[in-house]
Amino acid sequence: MPKNKSFVSLWLDLNILSTHNFMIKRQNTLKLLMVWFCLLLGQTVYSQSDYTGNKRVTGTYAITNATIITSPGKTISNGTIIIKDGLFAKISTSAQLPVDAQIIPGDSLIIYPGFIDALGEQGVASPEEAKRPKDMDPSNPPNHVAGITPELEVLDYWNIEGNGVEAWRKNGFTISQVAPKGLMLPGKTALVVLGDEKSSNYLSTASGLYAQFKTPRGLYPGTTLGLMAKWRELYKNAVLKQEHEKMFVAQGNGLARPQNDPSLAAFYPVIDQEIPVIFQAKDELEIRRALKLQNELGFRLVLTGVEDGSSLVEDIKAAGASVILSLDLPDPKASKVEFDEATEEAKKAQQRVVEAYNNALMQAAHFEKAGIPFAFSTQDAKSGEFMKHLSLMMENGLSEEAALAALTINAAEILGIAQYTGSIAEGNLANLVITTDKLGDEKAKVKYVFADGYLFEYEGEKPKVDMSKAKELVGTWNYESETPGGTSKGTVKYEINAGELQGEIVVDDPDGSGQITRKLKDINYDGKELSFNFSVMAQGNKLIVYAKGTVMDDKFEGTLSIKDMGKYSLTATKVPEFKL
Amino acid sequence: MKKFNYILLCVLLLVANGLTAQTPKGSVLIKNATVLTVTQGTLEETDVLVQDGLIKKIGKDLSAPKNVESIDATGKFLMPGIIDAHSHLALDVVNEATAPITAQVSMADVINPFDVGIYRALAGGTTIAHGLHGSANAIGGQSITMKYRYGTHDPEDIIMKEAPRTIKFALGENPTRVHGRGKNLQPRTRMGVEAVIRNGFAEAIQYKKQWETYNASKDKKNNTITPPEYNLKLETLADILDGEIIIHCHSYRADEIYMLINVCRDFGVDKLVFTHVNEGFKVAPELAKYTMGASVFSDWWAYKFEVYYSTAYNAAILMENDVITSINSDSGELIRHLYHEAAKTQRYGGLTDEQALSLITINPAKQLGIDDLVGSIEEGKQADLVIFDNHPLSVYAIPQMTFVDGVKYFDINDDEDDQRLKVSPTQMVEPVYLQAEDERCMHGVELFTEEAANFTHTH
Repeated sequence: MPKNKSFVSLWLDLNILSTHNFMIKRQNTLKLLMVWFCLLLGQTVYSQSDYTGNKRVTGTYAITNATIITSPGKTISNGTIIIKDGLFAKISTSAQLPVDAQIIPGDSLIIYPGFIDALGEQGVASPEEAKRPKDMDPSNPPNHVAGITPELEVLDYWNIEGNGVEAWRKNGFTISQVAPKGLMLPGKTALVVLGDEKSSNYLSTASGLYAQFKTPRGLYPGTTLGLMAKWRELYKNAVLKQEHEKMFVAQGNGLARPQNDPSLAAFYPVIDQEIPVIFQAKDELEIRRALKLQNELGFRLVLTGVEDGSSLVEDIKAAGASVILSLDLPDPKASKVEFDEATEEAKKAQQRVVEAYNNALMQAAHFEKAGIPFAFSTQDAKSGEFMKHLSLMMENGLSEEAALAALTINAAEILGIAQYTGSIAEGNLANLVITTDKLGDEKAKVKYVFADGYLFEYEGEKPKVDMSKAKELVGTWNYESETPGGTSKGTVKYEINAGELQGEIVVDDPDGSGQITRKLKDINYDGKELSFNFSVMAQGNKLIVYAKGTVMDDKFEGTLSIKDMGKYSLTATKVPEFKL
Repeated sequence: MKKFNYILLCVLLLVANGLTAQTPKGSVLIKNATVLTVTQGTLEETDVLVQDGLIKKIGKDLSAPKNVESIDATGKFLMPGIIDAHSHLALDVVNEATAPITAQVSMADVINPFDVGIYRALAGGTTIAHGLHGSANAIGGQSITMKYRYGTHDPEDIIMKEAPRTIKFALGENPTRVHGRGKNLQPRTRMGVEAVIRNGFAEAIQYKKQWETYNASKDKKNNTITPPEYNLKLETLADILDGEIIIHCHSYRADEIYMLINVCRDFGVDKLVFTHVNEGFKVAPELAKYTMGASVFSDWWAYKFEVYYSTAYNAAILMENDVITSINSDSGELIRHLYHEAAKTQRYGGLTDEQALSLITINPAKQLGIDDLVGSIEEGKQADLVIFDNHPLSVYAIPQMTFVDGVKYFDINDDEDDQRLKVSPTQMVEPVYLQAEDERCMHGVELFTEEAANFTHTH
């Protein structure tokens, strides 16, 4: 660091010199410039002198004493991972830590292989909307106006700093197959690693031909009817065009010169079975239509964004198609409506909505049971709901191993990159996610992510407790809360356990008589402001109760609140400790 | 022994595979019904034996083979499953209204087997419906003949595979409004409609020739002819010219009907059915001579200018002039009581029972090219049957059971309130539960016709 410091001060001196002594003789100025220049050169030679402070100190990391899930079902306890130059250098229980390694204590943490998003659009910008030519015949518009741009490369529209990348990386995603935005044939997908912003970050440029059931307004093909016909026509014409080009190359003389058609040429690698068609097909009929086209035309098919595929497992198996399920789950709003006052018929109809909702949550479990390996897609899913949706799927029958496989090794296999990623193995890309709890546990939080060997820390997400002040809280507190149902009384207990402030609250059971004890979550305490929350079950619904207020000596004053239900006063007094 | 078990398992699996690949076929004995055969008169107190989806025997005192259910239909009426030659039910999209000719599109691609309208149609005795493209384009999409095998998730199971290909054409106000007035394209007038169709056929002839030239020379040594562009639209039009596809043409006025007859005669096309045909009675002899008939409404008219000159006697006049005539629904509601629609021809035109029933059975079967398979109760035909409590032409008639291929898909005694196959997890249910659907000929063209919203009926 001293070198860095001296450089900065010199630079400041130079600045002062050059501005203050503007009238200095030219000779002197030249000298100064030379010094300046030499210093600049020096900077590149001694590259650890980074005045911005952005450059990382080392590319070598050691995560020690952690629970490592190297691949679904395979665990190393108290293991250490050493990362060097973007790869896993060593995974063992007794590794020698390199001297240049930044050490991350992994005690009580769980390490998973970095998650892979088998189809997403984080970091992808929309292409500029195609201008409709004047006097265009809407029955026969140019391809790019009709949403047919299979030749487009998504990397031309992708930026590591673009929308969504950070949000999904924060969830543990380290690789994504990004899809271009558009209509029926938006372009080619690419594989990117969500690593450092200065890296190029792509793993492959054209991993698949992306297709959707989306059509332009008022132009052919304007509906699914036209889309299906257009698909057949494009594909068959690409086959013919390729044949023509081959004839021309082989024979040449006497043959009409093939006209260049970038849209059709974009199909060649699909026709040659080099890359698959990645078809976004959400509902059952869309999936059937994609399978129908595959059956007629014979391309390799990956179905993505699948939301309603449970009844199609056999057809999908028979077609040999790969499956990417959507991480988006249906909005539970419709299934949660209270129907006490409704007609009998409406109640029955509502029951079917609830069934449909539950079925949607069970989709992943259905695929697991059917033995179809699947991956997940982040497209159209909200990053903030990832952990919640994952636990919902696991509560509805998806095993922990299958969930992890979908996020890691299955995705790698579908994308054809399992030889260097998808599991924690020496020599693989250093992509991993480090969590506080097991996957599917609702309180699991991502603490660190390594992508492409780069470390991303998410400690800021953790509740903050000033430990020096926390011991003032330790003990039992009697509380009172004024609610519309009367005064509620109970106790809160705080203790410090393994360096962490923990607590529990005794509250009236909303579902019956008596009291129940609940663990406090997300405790924040800075010596004055105290907040936490806890959950209770009331008539089958989980309510989260938030408490917030100020601590003054042995008194607490604040509020209790429940979302959409109101705010009530909360006061508490610490019970004096008796010392014998 | 082990080996034998294994072989047995293989055989069983093969059989199971074979069964899943096919649509279900049923066996049943319907006893002692008044059988309205439509083509072979009315048979009192007669039994009909169905085996594996086909009508095996019609006669008295038939006995049911082992494991075949027997249904006592004493005092009841048995008629062939009703066939609707014009419907838009169970289709996710009706119009690809973006071009005056869309012969390349196919309704088979957008079948929605979950449409509860199918069950409601079955409850009205309809077993087969012709799912048409809408009437926005002069030449619309290829239509699909469907057997209402409700309960399947697979659109392919709804398709009547044996039925010949059909296509929708449309004349008059709809295509000129959508393309002419809506987008300032041809056709803007009835003359334009004719020109669009003639040009389409003429192009198809050239297209066909191009491919014939290429195919004839492609395998020859030193061939220099390169593959022509593949054009699914012209390919389809060429198939019409080759007689592989039956045209069902939306039409109202006598002049436009006669126009298309002439166009088709010029191009050697004789597989032609007109649908709606409100002024058909004016050109009945021509329809009888040159076409596969007319499929009409019983009494719908005056919903737009070209439909004012109409009469409820239309079906009767056409029939008496030897035009193959059918009555269609073009509606998710009328399809539930086409037997009422047929009965109206007895009030307006005095048709006999057999003539009236032929309007919704054997005649639409002829227009769809499936009359050798369905449309009447005859030995060897497919067992699409309906049992009514009263004579189906009586205003009191209520369908009791409906069979497709001998499989019962509707039974009034086993009729649950909610027959939907699929429910959306995000569908908000109103505390007071009402449902309404609307299937229309001009569905999906609002974009092109600002005034379309003013029409209540736009068939």
